[in-house]
Amino acid sequence: MKDVLWVQFAKDKRKPLFVLLLIAGSIAATLLFGGGIQSVTTVAIFSEEADAAEIEKKWEGLLNTNDTFTFEVVEPEKAREDIKKGNSDVAVKLMEDEYRLLVSKNMPSVSSVEQHVKKVFQQEAQINAVESQQGERDVREEIESYLDDPPFQMVAQGLDSKQIPTYNIRTQLLFAFTFLISMFILGFKVNNVTQDKVSGIWDRMILSPLKKTNMYSGYLLYSFLITMFQIVVVLVVFKYILHYDVGDNLWLIILIAACFTFGMISIAMLITGFVRTPEQFYAIYPSVIPVIPLVSGVYMMPGTITNPVLLFIGDLFPLAHAMEAIMSVVFYGAGLQDVMMSLLYMLLIGIVAMGVGINLVERRSN
Amino acid sequence: MLETINLSKSFKGKKVVQDLNLYLADGESVGLLGPNGAGKSTTISMISTLIKPTSGRITMNGVNAIDKPGEIRRVSGVVPQELALYQELSAYENLKFFGSTYKLRGKELAKAIQQALEFVGLDDRKKDLVRTYSGGMKRRLNIASALLHRPQILILDEPTVGIDPQSRNHILEAVRALNQQEGTTVLYTSHYMEEVEQLCDRLYIMDHGKVIAAGTKEELLRILSTEDKIKVEVNKLDEAFVEQVKTIEGVYKIEVTELQLKIIAAKGTSLISKLVHLTEKHQIQLLNFHTETPSLEDVFLHLTGRTLRD
Ligand SMILES: Nc1ncnc2c1ncn2[C@@H]1O[C@H](COP(=O)(O)OP(=O)(O)OP(=O)(O)O)[C@@H](O)[C@H]1O
Ligand SMILES: [Mg+2]
Repeated sequence: MKDVLWVQFAKDKRKPLFVLLLIAGSIAATLLFGGGIQSVTTVAIFSEEADAAEIEKKWEGLLNTNDTFTFEVVEPEKAREDIKKGNSDVAVKLMEDEYRLLVSKNMPSVSSVEQHVKKVFQQEAQINAVESQQGERDVREEIESYLDDPPFQMVAQGLDSKQIPTYNIRTQLLFAFTFLISMFILGFKVNNVTQDKVSGIWDRMILSPLKKTNMYSGYLLYSFLITMFQIVVVLVVFKYILHYDVGDNLWLIILIAACFTFGMISIAMLITGFVRTPEQFYAIYPSVIPVIPLVSGVYMMPGTITNPVLLFIGDLFPLAHAMEAIMSVVFYGAGLQDVMMSLLYMLLIGIVAMGVGINLVERRSN
Repeated sequence: MLETINLSKSFKGKKVVQDLNLYLADGESVGLLGPNGAGKSTTISMISTLIKPTSGRITMNGVNAIDKPGEIRRVSGVVPQELALYQELSAYENLKFFGSTYKLRGKELAKAIQQALEFVGLDDRKKDLVRTYSGGMKRRLNIASALLHRPQILILDEPTVGIDPQSRNHILEAVRALNQQEGTTVLYTSHYMEEVEQLCDRLYIMDHGKVIAAGTKEELLRILSTEDKIKVEVNKLDEAFVEQVKTIEGVYKIEVTELQLKIIAAKGTSLISKLVHLTEKHQIQLLNFHTETPSLEDVFLHLTGRTLRD
């Protein structure tokens, strides 16, 4: 096994550029897209209705309830200009009880702005609807006072009573992009199995005293190690150099990443079971991979995806479980016990996919 | 030491190898000859235990090799038809890896690599990446990779396809040396008759998955002992003349190229006197004629009606 591992490493040592570029790419993507969040912290709002001032005032108050964004009233011309020039990513045009989003770039940040605005408008619409039925009673006040002093209240507090970092999409995107790149790296390394089968190197190994399990584990372990290397490098860069907030429990995050990597390697192996040539894998794999983060909803605020079919599909891949676990570790200070279910899911997916995948590969060759 | 009995292989119902009977005695050098698609590689894959036959048996020193592939794997070195090498590594690194899969370590491994490199004449290029090698050098390394564990049987699948004459000679010489000096048993697959003629004590000719002839070179040539092959050169040719030659008793094949006639006829027909007679009748001058000694190439032609390279 260690000889197979060595030869895979020797090949990459000759051509380290591929892996290094991907690592740099995942850092760059996080800075680029995650950094975009900063520029949205203030979102321009404006109205062009007859009673613009009134509408602006009403919604400004209602919208500014979220720590992540500040909504600021600006002149309609200026807002449009900024969007056109790309100076800001998003602005909101207000109407009596409707809104339009003006978007320059489709950044992940835009969707979180939209979610917030949508929620506020929906809530208002509900209150208005109830009020119109209830007549004189001041429903708004009732709801607000109820919310101020609810019968049940959750107070979030870290175990060590430290301030728990609040949710921030920048950190989420950091992991989303890192794992996206990981999926590419590990897949291309798993594809070495098919590559060596086609070239005849695999047959040489079959004829040698090398055991088949050692052959497979050599390839897969290499894929695992190089992917973990990428993840750890990216995490270390963000935590210690760029001072991103990735929580204090780095080891637990690495453990989650390891389970994720194992699970995804198995899925890559499963796909390998359906292809004959490395070229087929190159055609299929990169078109499947970018879909996984989408159905797993990792570019959006948690809870955005509500379609049960999508949720189900997302759960079939390790990514959704890994993100869930990591988010709870980073933002809510969850410990090993709390994320155990997610880890087990990933391992289960891994074991099943690996079993089926290797079986298919073996059947192919006879 | 190695024997196959009624070995057959079908892919999706298509019979690719049929009832192949073949044996290799210790120290022999045996050729397996056949045109493209004859089933040579499929046969090699079955013998080297990489694929399972559909039916038939393979025994190695009396051990059933299909149930117990270990024995064949232990004593044989297989040179595949394709280049099974890491192109992005050096020759040395390739050999180091393949040697290590045979559990060679340290000094023993270094010595095996050195010997294999010298044997195929790549010692001075061992640090270069395989990617930068010529086709012939890659072929040589492909062979060296199968020699590290000093196999008793060397199985080569078309080791000389598409390479320059120099590399080709090097390979042929190397294989001959292994066979004659080291006593390595050789099974050599090719569709070049000359190579097999040069190298092998005995040969099998395959076509469409079947062995159509087997034996030593002399035995195979004797198949043609009932035939004469005559080459005739004339100053002019006309249809009527060719037609009449065809009707000569015993003639069963004529090939016409410009002013040349190749005639194959049964031995003992008074072909020459009849030819002379015909040329006079058609006022054609006979410039030259000679009887050719048949080659193995002719044996193949005789057996299949095609040339080997068709
Ligand atoms: N895995 C396979 N699946 C289906 N058909 C196959 C397979 N392998 C070989 N064949 C077919 O079997 C026949 C014999 O192939 P084989 O490679 O054994 O011929 P060969 O004598 O080695 O030819 P060549 O000189 O071109 O190497 C061919 O018709 C080929 O298409
Ligand atoms: Mg072949």
